[in-house]
Amino acid sequence: MATVRVEPASSGGGVRVSIEGDLIADSIGGARETLENALPAKSSGVGAIELDLAKCTELDASGVSLAVFLYRLAKSRGTEFRVVGADGDRKLLVDLALRGQDPVAPPPPIGLVRQVGSASIDVAASVVDLVRFIGELSIVSMQVARNPRLLRVRDTIAGMSRHGTDAVPVVSLLGLLIGTIIAFQTFDPMAKYGAKLQVADVVAISIVRELGPLITAIILAGRSGSAFAAEIGTMKVTQELDALRTFGIDAVRFLVIPRILAVVLVTPLLSVYATLLGVAGGFLILGPEGFTLAQYLDEVRGALDIGDFLQGLAKAAVFALLVGAIGCLAGMRTGQGPGAVGLSTTRAVVAGIVAIVVADAVLGSFFYALGI
Amino acid sequence: MPSSSPTSSSNTPREVAIALRGVTIGYDRPIVEGIDLDIYAGEIMFIGGGSGCGKTTLLSNMTALRKPFAGSITIAGTDVATADDEAIARVRRRFGVMYQLGALFGGKTLLENVRLPLEEFTDLSDRAMDDIARAKLGLVGLGAHAHKEPSEISGGMQKRAAIARALALDPPIIFLDEPSAGLDPVTSADLDALIVALNRMLGTTFVIISHELASIYAIGHRFAMLDGARKRLVALGTPAELRDSSPDLWVRNFLNRVPTAET
Repeated sequence: MATVRVEPASSGGGVRVSIEGDLIADSIGGARETLENALPAKSSGVGAIELDLAKCTELDASGVSLAVFLYRLAKSRGTEFRVVGADGDRKLLVDLALRGQDPVAPPPPIGLVRQVGSASIDVAASVVDLVRFIGELSIVSMQVARNPRLLRVRDTIAGMSRHGTDAVPVVSLLGLLIGTIIAFQTFDPMAKYGAKLQVADVVAISIVRELGPLITAIILAGRSGSAFAAEIGTMKVTQELDALRTFGIDAVRFLVIPRILAVVLVTPLLSVYATLLGVAGGFLILGPEGFTLAQYLDEVRGALDIGDFLQGLAKAAVFALLVGAIGCLAGMRTGQGPGAVGLSTTRAVVAGIVAIVVADAVLGSFFYALGI
Repeated sequence: MPSSSPTSSSNTPREVAIALRGVTIGYDRPIVEGIDLDIYAGEIMFIGGGSGCGKTTLLSNMTALRKPFAGSITIAGTDVATADDEAIARVRRRFGVMYQLGALFGGKTLLENVRLPLEEFTDLSDRAMDDIARAKLGLVGLGAHAHKEPSEISGGMQKRAAIARALALDPPIIFLDEPSAGLDPVTSADLDALIVALNRMLGTTFVIISHELASIYAIGHRFAMLDGARKRLVALGTPAELRDSSPDLWVRNFLNRVPTAET
């Protein structure tokens, strides 16, 4: 236990804090409370603050925090702080603990205008960075197209396996469920108008044109976009990207092109697969309602034309390009510290999904304008 | 194998901070077997050996992150090898650990890092915890950097911050895992000086996993050597004694930095 006595100094208008007993981790809480309660009444606010440790029987690394508190108080008042009754190791302990403890004035608040300006500059810098990356990607793509030996074929094929075949289970499940859900939700409204079988048209058009490629791309963003960001981001943090540069190897050609090419090649295939399962999912609702598979397929065939399939494939390829590029870019722009890779991964997924939806809207309008 | 006397010059038995009896450690198979070792309160004990000898594994066992295959490891009256989770949680507050890469929490300032154990295990006010954390950072020379995050400071500073965090609850024992790894000689010497100062001022027991000979000779009170090939503790004594007169040639060669080609 420590007894804290606070007395006005005999001269100079300061205050003297005397400690009696053990000032250690177990007693610092109580000592601190006593001091904070007694200090305002006894302190004139202008004189020196003195800490007397002559009767302090034990002092540890937590107990010395009382000296830190008084030192910072003195400095904030522009007055002197002194320690008496301490020598040898105890004086060393106090001196070391007080190193660098001058209070730092908080930075001035940043005004709204400055915040808006700062954020605008950040957005502009991100756009410039994105354009630069697209340019770099285009140049390297053309180099590889002109000289296919520059392509890392083994990495590309491995990527197609990881991001294609390994994604089949989840694409199967979600594709089937989406078709089932659309049929389920539209069945009752369509039944009111005696158009139960036309649910097949709704399922076919929405899955083939929109939801097949969209769901596939969203799965891609979550699975592959995040993986690209995490893999390349970790390489950035562990200086593997620097090692590639010092070897004279272009990171875009070595890491980015194989990944993007892999997903651009497999995503349309996955999208077709998801579409087929989505259409099949629709039959899970209509079949028990008494419609035969032949009736269902006839209706589906009648609702679609070749343009619908081509639209779906084109969208899938564009979505894959966006997700792959955004994931790789997020990885290459990873910052420092353990949270940086997580941040890049989150950015890759969120930006990838936003890009997919925006691209879907743009492509939809484009195909509509073309009359496809 | 030479051993240090267990008693002080006045023949009063020294307090044992950590007692290992018959400890066998490893992962899927034993790496080192039958370790008997007493670490005394207030001493700076180095534990080392060749690469892969099991020193970091021993640290994991002593800090109750792993259980040994056999034996007992007693800290503050609790055998961490066999105690239940509740007892281990209590004894964990009796020691602090500084990991090889610092293991500071990114995204938190140094002040917040050192405060964290205080927030979890004490009822102190925010202001009191702040000042205690500042004092600990001041002790390791980082008082002026309390507001910085780990990514903003050098590797040597991160290690010092990690020591400050290990000191947060004023434990009587601090474990350090390869504190000099990756540091330049001057920074390593500064860290050694800090360990000696804390040991003298606070009476803290330091258990240092390291094979950094310069530090072992400069500040180690005793050195315990593990040999992965023979799977046992092969030497225990003051570094100078072992270097000059250990009956084990391998130990003398290790401590005299004799390359393998010459042995």
